Amino acid sequence: MTELRQGYGGQARPAVAPLLAAVALLMTVSVSVQVVRDRGWTPYQPENPLLWVQSGPLLQRLALGFDNLVADVYWIRAVVYYGGKRTAEQQQMNYDLLYPLLDLVTTLDPHFRVAYRFGAIFLTEAYPRGPARPDLAVRLLQRGIERDYQRWEYFHDIGFVYYWWLRDYPKAAEWFLKGANQPNAPEWLRPLAATTLASGGDRATARHLWTQLLNSDMSYIKAQAEHRLLQLDAMDAIAELTPILQRFVDRERRIPRSWQELASAERLARVPADPTGVPFVFDPKVGRIEVSRKSTLWPLPFDPRRTEAPQ
Amino acid sequence: MRAIRLVAGAVFRESVRDRVPYSMVIFAILLMAASYLISQLTAGQDMKIVKDLGLAALSIFGLLIAVFLGIGLVSKEVERKSIFGLLTKPVSRTQFIIGKYTGLVATLIINLGVMTVAYYAVLAYMQYVSAPTVRASWPAPAMDPRLLIAVVLIVAELALVTAIALFFSTFSSPLLATLLTLGLWLAGHFNTDLRNFGAVVDSAPIVAIARGLYYLLPNLAPFDVKAEVVHGLPVSARHVLLTLLYAVIYSGALLTAAIAIFRRRDFK
Amino acid sequence: MPAAIETEGLSKDFLVGFWRPRPYRALDALTLSVEPGEVFGFLGPNGAGKSTTLKLLMQLIYPTSGAARILGKPVGDVGVRQRISFLAENPYFYDYLTAEEVLAYFAKLFDYSGADVTARVARVLDEVGIGAERRMRLRGYSKGMLQRVGLAQALINDPEVVFLDEPMSGLDPIGRRQVRDLILRLKQRGCTVFFSSHILSDAEALCSRVAIMAQGRLVASGALHEMVAFELKGWDLVAANVSEALRATLEGQVRSITAIADGQYMIDVPAEVAPERILIDLARGGARVISLHPVRDTLEDFFIRQVNSAAPRETGIS
Repeated sequence: MTELRQGYGGQARPAVAPLLAAVALLMTVSVSVQVVRDRGWTPYQPENPLLWVQSGPLLQRLALGFDNLVADVYWIRAVVYYGGKRTAEQQQMNYDLLYPLLDLVTTLDPHFRVAYRFGAIFLTEAYPRGPARPDLAVRLLQRGIERDYQRWEYFHDIGFVYYWWLRDYPKAAEWFLKGANQPNAPEWLRPLAATTLASGGDRATARHLWTQLLNSDMSYIKAQAEHRLLQLDAMDAIAELTPILQRFVDRERRIPRSWQELASAERLARVPADPTGVPFVFDPKVGRIEVSRKSTLWPLPFDPRRTEAPQ
Repeated sequence: MRAIRLVAGAVFRESVRDRVPYSMVIFAILLMAASYLISQLTAGQDMKIVKDLGLAALSIFGLLIAVFLGIGLVSKEVERKSIFGLLTKPVSRTQFIIGKYTGLVATLIINLGVMTVAYYAVLAYMQYVSAPTVRASWPAPAMDPRLLIAVVLIVAELALVTAIALFFSTFSSPLLATLLTLGLWLAGHFNTDLRNFGAVVDSAPIVAIARGLYYLLPNLAPFDVKAEVVHGLPVSARHVLLTLLYAVIYSGALLTAAIAIFRRRDFK
Repeated sequence: MPAAIETEGLSKDFLVGFWRPRPYRALDALTLSVEPGEVFGFLGPNGAGKSTTLKLLMQLIYPTSGAARILGKPVGDVGVRQRISFLAENPYFYDYLTAEEVLAYFAKLFDYSGADVTARVARVLDEVGIGAERRMRLRGYSKGMLQRVGLAQALINDPEVVFLDEPMSGLDPIGRRQVRDLILRLKQRGCTVFFSSHILSDAEALCSRVAIMAQGRLVASGALHEMVAFELKGWDLVAANVSEALRATLEGQVRSITAIADGQYMIDVPAEVAPERILIDLARGGARVISLHPVRDTLEDFFIRQVNSAAPRETGIS
């Protein structure tokens, strides 16, 4: 048996380290091939991407009981679609599919609260950040009310759209009040309805609203609130600057040709800046002080008290 | 080499006699013939429908053949214990795996070849029966040779899926291997969403993970040039060649891993 | 001349259990050797480690420790596989192929070609007794026919060593006789046959040496006639014309006297008693001896005794 001891070998489980090294090497090469290929390739963008199936009820049947999961998939697609469009090139910036996508998501999963609320925010965003369709946002939120146990948040959100985007204060107050009557509604909805009725259009009320939302636990809404408050600060600043402009106009009987002219005439230390530090611009064609297009605060929400340019 | 050729030949012979892939091919051909009838309902979009349906049939049936035969390559042999008869012959385990793979890829190429011939036959018929004015409205000719580019990429994608199926079948049961392969195929088609994560999500680590997954998981979307080809849009040779290269390399990695696992396995 | 088959300290642990796998020692330090030309019986009940040993020898599984060689080369040597063959228990081949096609496939793997393949396939199918069914797909075969195909594929390369795992299982008595004859023919050709079985009568008829396994361990090995020889239990003696007086005399000396017919008795003589004395008594009493047979311990009795005394299986944790 001694020759057996010497001859032991080739029977143990074969070592595979060289094979595994080869696998790692090949995977690395495959990654580099992909990198090279992706430089020259963009995925085909068909006319109706993402939807595949356009009808909600049909998709419900196709989802074979996995409605919630399919709703999640479409929700992700909606978010990516929206985000992609925001960062896309100018000519591709149309949001036509946003509402149909959100419609599909909420048909599949009627209790998908986030889809109603964020969806409404996406839909109301002013161009070019969004499709600027407050009417669709209201419609979406109304479906939320129908299908998701009449949660107070939907009433509040509709009221908000009317207040901020549609500037319809009586209607806004009406919706706030309806929301205040829902179970579990927060105590500030009723006073908000009252305030809105009394002095809609007032920046103070708007500031009150947004400050409330700073406490929201949804980070997107909180970020919105911070952004809006900065915009309100900018509007306050412009309101302070407007009398200065008026002074010039009254004195010189004409609109200043540029900021520099106005600044030197009224002895302003430097060109005033908005809360993010970007200087305001003066548009001589319409005779108004505006937030710069380069600022993240552009465009400012419409303020009815600034409709007319100083005469 | 001889052993590889023999094992591959056995795979092909099995596929010819097995009712499943046989029926797939018949079914695909019938579907293509039917697509002609369906196209008559679509008021002007008939060529697009026929081309779309044909390529989709090639894709889907090819996928079914690749997955179900691919899983059977190893899992079924191990489960039924016919592998004992084979591995005790003068065949190394490496030759076994390579032979199985080449056999199935050859089967796929031949099956898809037959389906493509049927496809072109239907297209030729449409060309024949359509009026010249209708023909002029088509974005691409009926018997467009560029359709073959789409077919070639479909075959390459299926070769990759076969490698995935073979890989999983070296260590899991037939059912589990089927589910994993189909799951990875699905993930491979959603892969482009991973690539776009950076545009939507703020967190840098998540974007990095998504990017990593995009590169490591099989990326199957670039193999899909069906839409471009049907609409007559250009497909760059560079894209085709690099994608084919990717298929070869990734399949190679999977096969090497499969061999590594298979060589170390106990067959009880 | 090197041994045809040798193992030294061959052990195999399997991991059993999903959440916390524990080693299960299927084979514990098996050391044996088989000389060329022997018919070696590898015996034991189910679970004794026989199949494990065969699969280790064919490198279908890998050992935990120990070594094994076939025809002087380490197990797993692909070249050696040209000269050996294997039949698994309950074999299964490809049910979409016919017997001829399966055997032709295997023959080509052995590097035979062309007319040689056809000739070998035909010869081997004749030898195992498969006739016109050879052109039928294996899907329709009975268990016995599959077993024959299995034997055929074990013969097709004219091997020097043949490994058979339970070759008689599932066969009717005629089939078993045919397999037995086949193994004897192989022995006549100088082939080494290593087969496992739990049917002991087959071993008695065929094997020059056996190894007996229980719970993964080798409990006995050696030449069959040596192992069983000293287990002579006694004699069976049949005598006629036994008178009552004679019967009464013998009753005390023997284990039992049983009547078969009038005056004819079967006498059970214990081993300690010399049968010659009984014969003299019978002769003097005028009885006639019909037959005298030694009663040996069968392998089965020996085996059961060995198994019952074997120590319980180790868990394999060293």
